Amino acid sequence: MKTIEIDQPASRAAMYLGALLSSRKHPGTISALPEVNYVRPRVVLESAHIADYARVCGFDQEHGVPITYPQLLTFPLVMAFFRSADCPWPALGTVHLANRIEQRQRLSPGDALRVEVRTGRLIAHERGQIFTLETQITRGDELVWVASQMALRLGVTNPAGPAFASELQANMPLSHQADFSAPGDIGRRYGRVSGDLNPIHLSALSAKLFGFRRAIAHGMWTKARALAALMPPEAVAQARVAVEFKTPLYLPARVSLWTARDAQDARFEVRNARGDKPHLRGHLSYH
Amino acid sequence: MNTIRRVAIIGGNRIPFARSNTAYAHATNQEMLTATLQGLIDRFNLHGERVGDVAAGAVMKHARDFNLVRESVLSTTLARETPAFDLQQACGTGLEAAMIVANKIALGHIECGIAGGVDTTSDAPIGINETMRRILLDASRARTAMQRVAVLAKLRPGMLIKPSLPRNAEPRTGYSMGEHAELMAREWGISREHQDALALKSHLNLAKAYKDGFFTDLMTTFKGVSRDNNLRADLTIEKLRSLKPAFDRKIAPDQGTLTAGNSTPLTDGASAVLLASDEWAASRKLPVLAYLAFSEVAAVDFFEKKEGLLMAPAYAVPRMLARAGLTLQDFDFYEIHEAFAAQVLCTLKAWQDENYCRDRLGLEAPLGAIDPDKLNVNGSSLAAGHPFAATGGRIVATLAKLLARKGSGRGLISICAAGGQGVVAILER
Repeated sequence: MKTIEIDQPASRAAMYLGALLSSRKHPGTISALPEVNYVRPRVVLESAHIADYARVCGFDQEHGVPITYPQLLTFPLVMAFFRSADCPWPALGTVHLANRIEQRQRLSPGDALRVEVRTGRLIAHERGQIFTLETQITRGDELVWVASQMALRLGVTNPAGPAFASELQANMPLSHQADFSAPGDIGRRYGRVSGDLNPIHLSALSAKLFGFRRAIAHGMWTKARALAALMPPEAVAQARVAVEFKTPLYLPARVSLWTARDAQDARFEVRNARGDKPHLRGHLSYH
Repeated sequence: MNTIRRVAIIGGNRIPFARSNTAYAHATNQEMLTATLQGLIDRFNLHGERVGDVAAGAVMKHARDFNLVRESVLSTTLARETPAFDLQQACGTGLEAAMIVANKIALGHIECGIAGGVDTTSDAPIGINETMRRILLDASRARTAMQRVAVLAKLRPGMLIKPSLPRNAEPRTGYSMGEHAELMAREWGISREHQDALALKSHLNLAKAYKDGFFTDLMTTFKGVSRDNNLRADLTIEKLRSLKPAFDRKIAPDQGTLTAGNSTPLTDGASAVLLASDEWAASRKLPVLAYLAFSEVAAVDFFEKKEGLLMAPAYAVPRMLARAGLTLQDFDFYEIHEAFAAQVLCTLKAWQDENYCRDRLGLEAPLGAIDPDKLNVNGSSLAAGHPFAATGGRIVATLAKLLARKGSGRGLISICAAGGQGVVAILER
């Protein structure tokens, strides 16, 4: 496996130019994903940035480092992969289908972490080709946080790999837990804090250029906002959360959170205001 | 020295309960209690009778209703010589009234009596603004016209639109009853699913009881209402799941489990029961439904010791069981007032919790579980609604009739009340 170290994340301009240029890639069906590992050898958790992130997503101080926060650290690596020749597809137009996070140890501001994102598996989806990106974050010798995200490249015919099967049980009876708003500027605010300035999230106009009628919320924001309501008011040590993104959340919107909970486990969906259309489905467990 | 006599429950009457600001929006406590008493009098032909005593009360009461019960008695066809008095113990009022009347009968002080309760949250006693009230009182104490003008000059128009409203909140904590129940649900880990399931069962059981005609001789229509208008016979678990938590904002934002569906709504209504000695019942050839055998009250320190506000029945029941020489499982029916589904579920869980039973209740072993099929078999407050002081009478009459229909048996009543209190009783036949 090829390893590429990235000490200094690319400037935002370079990152987006790369992302745009990557749009020239037009592969057909591929049989295997190149094996490549992108690494940030040392990232220190900054409390100010964590606080900014927490504020945008609705976490409280008592949640500690939000379980979804380390995802932000992987973003420069994911973008580096997308704009490299190793990634068969362009960044734009690749759909974030699902992701799974497992926090194995409690994180704290000041922790020095090693962040790795490597290419994973190919999975066949009825609408195109899924590929996975596998993240692992270590603190010293300790594996503290792992994640797997599924990206779907739409329109690839004869996709490779085993057929996609949802890990999350649909049709679980859920109860209306809370409502929250996804404000019109949340794409810009989350974009600023996360670095993910994909134009489909930023404004109605920029979203229209890419075929969306209005800006849509970052899936990772929707996930984080739901978790802010679901996580216990403490910095938990171990937690797992898996989500699948179902339909775009057009901004601005009122959305509803539906849950089935027991002591350390919550199945949940973020739905539209009427509660009849899911934007996101997930399963959280913690202890 | 008198011997202690058995106290018979002869029957009961109530008007259908109505959600606040619906059918009884313009009915007063006085009207509702009078109608309820008259229904009971008609049913047992007590016209012109001098009943030993009539005890009833209301939680939400106008100052002018200081003699609510006596005034109602005077408006019925009972003998004008029937004494009456008001009492109030929050949601325990109705059952406490029954206990007091029962004790008088047991001691031979009276031969028969009526206990009841009434409440309206629609015709609520709105007080004038507190500052304004003090100014008006000062003005009334003023000795000269000039002094009076000087005092009245302190009045401000804003005082008129900021009246003193009654609140469904505990004075010592500032939390509403629902918020306290949410705290309890969190402490005991009571899930939303369980609460909704209990609420659904309450509605289905009450609907079935109506369908079976169970309430025909326990109720008189009032203002065109012939059944509790909170009852949703077609309620589904999906509908309950669709409701958003109502009491979590101050307790645990977005983490609540109590909704309008698994909590009782504010309700208007009244109830009354007729109690008597065996001799009195026999002399009138009135069948006895059941006997009021034991009762107990308890209170908890929800403020300093942070016991759950509505946990007092958990303390009252084992004390009463010990006096009665019974176990929690020795009952055919359990009537646990559903202030909130969570209150019922917390109580049942507490009785099964070894540590709680030992450390808080001082028991050697937990009381254990009850058969859920014996719980609130004809529905309870979640479906019927809960006009605070009227709930006790509803439950006593319902349970007495259940026991009468069964022929023999024993039933437990548990009612939680504001101020961290609990009122419980055992009915037998």
